[in-house]
Amino acid sequence: MSEHLHYFATPQRGTAVMLPFELEAWLQQWAGLRLTMVKAVPPPFSREEWAYLVTFLEAANLRKPFSTAFGETVPDLPGRPNALVRPRGLIGVWLPNNVSLLGSLTLILASLSGAALWVKAGSSAADLTAAWVDFALRHLPPGSLADYLRQQVQINRFDRHDPRNGQMAAAAKVRVAFGSDEAVSAVHALPHPTDSVAVSFGNHRSEAWVEKAALTEDQMLALIRVFAIHGQAGCTSPRRVVVLDGSLDDARWVQSELVRLWPKAVRADVPMHVAAANVMEHQMAAAQGWQAVRVARNAGVVAVGPPGLPELAGIMTLPVVPAQVVDAMAALPPNIQTIGHAVRHPHDPLWLERISRTPAKRFVPLEAMHHFGTVWDGANYWRQFFEEVEWQT
Amino acid sequence: MSQLLHHAPFSPRDDAVFLNEMNEISSWHLAGCPEYRRVWPDWTVAERLEDLPYLHVGVFKRQLWKTSVDGLMHQRILRSSSTSQATASMIALDERSSALQSRSSAAILRGLVGDSLRPLIILDHARALRQRGEASARIAAAMSLRFLAAEVHFLLEDDEAVGWERLGTILARQRRLLVYGFTWMLWQEWATAAIPEVIRRLLVEAEIHFVHSGGWKKLEAARVDRQRFETGLLATVAPTSQVTEYYGLVEQVGVIFPLCQAGFYHVPRWTGVLVRDPWTLKILAHQPGLLQFMNGLSWGAPYHSVLTEDLGRLMPYDCACGRAGQRFELLGRVPKAEVRGCANV
Repeated sequence: MSEHLHYFATPQRGTAVMLPFELEAWLQQWAGLRLTMVKAVPPPFSREEWAYLVTFLEAANLRKPFSTAFGETVPDLPGRPNALVRPRGLIGVWLPNNVSLLGSLTLILASLSGAALWVKAGSSAADLTAAWVDFALRHLPPGSLADYLRQQVQINRFDRHDPRNGQMAAAAKVRVAFGSDEAVSAVHALPHPTDSVAVSFGNHRSEAWVEKAALTEDQMLALIRVFAIHGQAGCTSPRRVVVLDGSLDDARWVQSELVRLWPKAVRADVPMHVAAANVMEHQMAAAQGWQAVRVARNAGVVAVGPPGLPELAGIMTLPVVPAQVVDAMAALPPNIQTIGHAVRHPHDPLWLERISRTPAKRFVPLEAMHHFGTVWDGANYWRQFFEEVEWQT
Repeated sequence: MSQLLHHAPFSPRDDAVFLNEMNEISSWHLAGCPEYRRVWPDWTVAERLEDLPYLHVGVFKRQLWKTSVDGLMHQRILRSSSTSQATASMIALDERSSALQSRSSAAILRGLVGDSLRPLIILDHARALRQRGEASARIAAAMSLRFLAAEVHFLLEDDEAVGWERLGTILARQRRLLVYGFTWMLWQEWATAAIPEVIRRLLVEAEIHFVHSGGWKKLEAARVDRQRFETGLLATVAPTSQVTEYYGLVEQVGVIFPLCQAGFYHVPRWTGVLVRDPWTLKILAHQPGLLQFMNGLSWGAPYHSVLTEDLGRLMPYDCACGRAGQRFELLGRVPKAEVRGCANV
């Protein structure tokens, strides 16, 4: 691949980025796939997963990594870049078994560095990453992006004991590890180059914080949708809904609205085993003191109770609890990732103060809870795909 | 005490009496088990079987349920036989229920294998009997045949090897045996095993009644169907030998649903079966759905009415095999698929 210098600038700083491809051409080719994608959902993707990929591939969205890391595109930086940036080298990505789109999304973002990519997919589940690359190669026009996917991207399925884990770690300049904390630690404990970079996406959980007065029907629908995609299996799915400064009656109102609106937000039936399991989860929640309600067609369970009841483990069980803001902050788990909000004044600096005192990594509107980007788990990991040369003249 | 136990298991049903008994036992559990009451806070009495309260089979894997009423003596915990990594169900046994359950299983089994006493060979190891305070469902199923046993022998050694020599000693003096094993164990350890030649020669002259249960999941994975299974077993023994299969679950201990020659499982008259739509829980007359089992035998914990994750279909009309009452076709487990997420679970 031939190399191309691209220039970016903020008011304070100019950066020259050497990419082994012509950026605008790749952005257009990725985005161009959307025209084909809207026609049908190929297996093994779900409708929701595919719709998210279509949105993710908007050219404006794909430009964001560059604008966030380096500034806006400029035609040149006559004689005055502050830094020269180039891809660090091979990126190794370790994916666990039940992972949803994270592999495909990471692949798309990593491709924008131009670095070669080696992906370890889960050994016993549907591999969406390889399925995504297959789809892209079938529909991309001939050119450097298709060549990159064919020649620079390697996807293998193997388990955590396979010797290729060691080969990946030894070769990668960047190790991106998704999975349990134990799995991520094991990846980074493998012998690796001293100048390599570790990116860790371990166990996390998320919550939805809502104020009754701020909850419109659209907000309710958004909350149901972000939960229903992955249920409690998603690190950015709300494990519970906290009704801020609300009463148990307020929480019951939220519950009844969620139950009422669920069929409007999610029209497809859940798989049979999920429907059946929801009967069990409803009964377990009730036995433990929660006021639990099954959603129509056993699509989910919404449970209300005071803080302090036993946690509910059902994949499609959404607990709703009332809490004062200070109590909600104090009750956050150490591995809190995203707080999805529906509050009246999210712009109030008070929220900056509050969230700064928590370990939360994201404070975003409910509908953005799953939006994966280049800043994740507290850092701009995408920027780590590049190394920087200080540049003074 | 169930009145219905006084009659033959597959004689015509008396649904009114059964409903009364189920109402009585449901009220008993609601009064004695606070968790159960929290699940069914508003229930009073049912006028139809479908309106009786029930528990999903999975809740018995999550916690130990007990109904505590004066005079009821709880005994051991019965655990499901965990052949996979799945969590085991826990059932709190009690004296009163155990007596009823023994009577129930004996009545059903007597109709299947006859009355005559003979050695009972259990394809399992004896160490499971030695655990204090607990029993495995596999052993409980085997021991339900004990009343027909002149003597009981466990055939597996502690190292899992089959004690063929011990079987040879038994066969040297007795040629009519009852053999119980889980379906996959009988296939693996008997039908396809390398039986020593000297034992093989004894077996071909032995009339053996094989009784098996436990399900076909493992054998389906190995592409072994019922015909191949039975042919494999019967090839090792005398031509007058038989194979009997039944369906049961630890959460319905004491109740056995025998498979008839026509291919259907039959429901004893002191128990009942409903089929529910997985999404609406509405009753399905003859369409496939989730099987729910009920019995009036289980007083120590609310496992008297259990919604399973087994799929089945109730069959109309009387069975060609001549048994009266309900019968169902078993269609396997609810198909599972992993929920995708972030590997957080």
